[in-house]
Amino acid sequence: MPFISKSGKSASRICEVTVGTGDRAVTAGGESSLPFYTFDGKTPNRPRTGIEITDGGVADQPAVVQKYYDGCVSAADMARKASSFEGVDFICLALTGADPNGKNRPADELMETVRAVADATDLPLAVSGCDNAQIDAGLLRKAAQVLKGRNALMLSAREENYESVKKTAAPEFGQNIGAESADDINLAKQLNILLLQAEVPENKIIMQPGTAACGYGFEYVISTIDRIRLAALQQSDKTLQMPVITPVAQEAWSVREAAATQDEMPEWGSQEERGIDMEVETAAAVLAAGSDAVILKHPESVRTIAAMTAALTQGGQ
Amino acid sequence: MGKFIVIGERLSATASSVNRAFAEMDPEPILERASAQLKAGAVCLDVNIGPAEDNGPEIMKWVVRLLQDNFDNVPLSLDTSNKAAIEAGISVYNRSRGKPIVNSADAAGRLDYMDLAAANDAICIALCNGDGIARDNDERMGYCQTLLEHGLELGMSEDDIWFDPMFLVIKGMQDKVKEMLECIHMFSEMGLHSTGGLSNSSNGMPKAIRPVMDSSMIAMAMMQGLTSAIVNPNNTRLMETIKSCDIILGNTLYADSYLEL
Repeated sequence: MPFISKSGKSASRICEVTVGTGDRAVTAGGESSLPFYTFDGKTPNRPRTGIEITDGGVADQPAVVQKYYDGCVSAADMARKASSFEGVDFICLALTGADPNGKNRPADELMETVRAVADATDLPLAVSGCDNAQIDAGLLRKAAQVLKGRNALMLSAREENYESVKKTAAPEFGQNIGAESADDINLAKQLNILLLQAEVPENKIIMQPGTAACGYGFEYVISTIDRIRLAALQQSDKTLQMPVITPVAQEAWSVREAAATQDEMPEWGSQEERGIDMEVETAAAVLAAGSDAVILKHPESVRTIAAMTAALTQGGQ
Repeated sequence: MGKFIVIGERLSATASSVNRAFAEMDPEPILERASAQLKAGAVCLDVNIGPAEDNGPEIMKWVVRLLQDNFDNVPLSLDTSNKAAIEAGISVYNRSRGKPIVNSADAAGRLDYMDLAAANDAICIALCNGDGIARDNDERMGYCQTLLEHGLELGMSEDDIWFDPMFLVIKGMQDKVKEMLECIHMFSEMGLHSTGGLSNSSNGMPKAIRPVMDSSMIAMAMMQGLTSAIVNPNNTRLMETIKSCDIILGNTLYADSYLEL
């Protein structure tokens, strides 16, 4: 019996979601094959690389990142500087200062920061909260108002707050929405269904199905993304044909391998190298599983991952 | 394995209102039934215009255009004993959402419907009957081989031949049903696609019982590997069963709202 090779070609494709406006707008998704299988189908857009800044400005960053923001103080200063770093497709402003157990900064004050960052850069913007579903819903709705016309990405709607966050995609704001779940593929699908049923257009939804640093429950992250992509392409599941984004920065820089300084762990060597390694390895792995965008912290990580994805997608824009 | 393919059966000349709509080329009843079936989850519609001996080609062209124009080029299964009408339908068929389906060839007098499908790059339903209904699985699988070889000789892909074991009327033929289910398993073992007119199973039973019987039959047939069926998608119990079986078999991914999709 002759060997018949099975084609990996798919009749389905991932939706394209565009974030930002004008010349700097970036589009994620659009592929009709498994990640980087450019021989099986089209990959019209290379995976996107975002850089994360926080409302607290340079002081929030690890010392090994701070040096790249020489002369900067505020988040807006950082946004301006980061816009010129190689490989940065978009900027993600994390409003971590809203955390009631942390700085507990009021929403109005944070919105000043959002406005200042938006004025400082014409790159596409993403905004994330402080990992408190209720507070984040309020922040994202206010940010959607401030960023009206910027076609930004709101990170994210969760099971607990999607009813509120979905309004940021309404025509009056026109923002894109991240749909966040934590390594639960059934919930990931359910959230998409709920958003679609609420008439959020499919090309305004980006899935955020879970994140972790390499070695920290990471296999769940990979298998979740992997199964989402297989269902989207091989089972033509329309409710899962949205691009996937993975915020890597906060997870990668919070584990000991990246967070421990060289003074604390002299035998581990340079903290900067460890942090970049952690971030690059985590990002490369989620991209190989099917993620269409990653958010990173260190400029060198961004440069490395952007170069890798450009080389692997050969001609993807 | 992909999601189970639901082919809607309700555009059939056996229903008098539909028969009249075909004959008079009255779009309203056709569009109404098509819309109801698609809303309920049909992905393809069977168009049975009956023998249509006089103006079959004209009717088929009209209905293919009518349905595809109104429902985003919905895939159609063209079902008539008038071969010229099937060819006429294919001549105006838009393939953007899938090939047309020729319904149907058998291993005897209608073997040449396979030729028609091959010549027009269509999918062909291959009913595993000869001059009469197959007596047992030896005979059924013999017809299956005849049909498969014929299609392959004509250059068709295996994927474009969907084998129909013929869903027997359960009432009166209870002793034959289990064997028919085993036949679906044999198709599945050979990697073949399968389909059939499921509603025939409950033919002659009281109206209230038919959805129960059809749902049980589809669940058992899907377990054997059935990949498609021509059914009434407006039978809620049946559609819920198909969607649930797709979840159990891993053909679709579970989400709490799966019945609403």
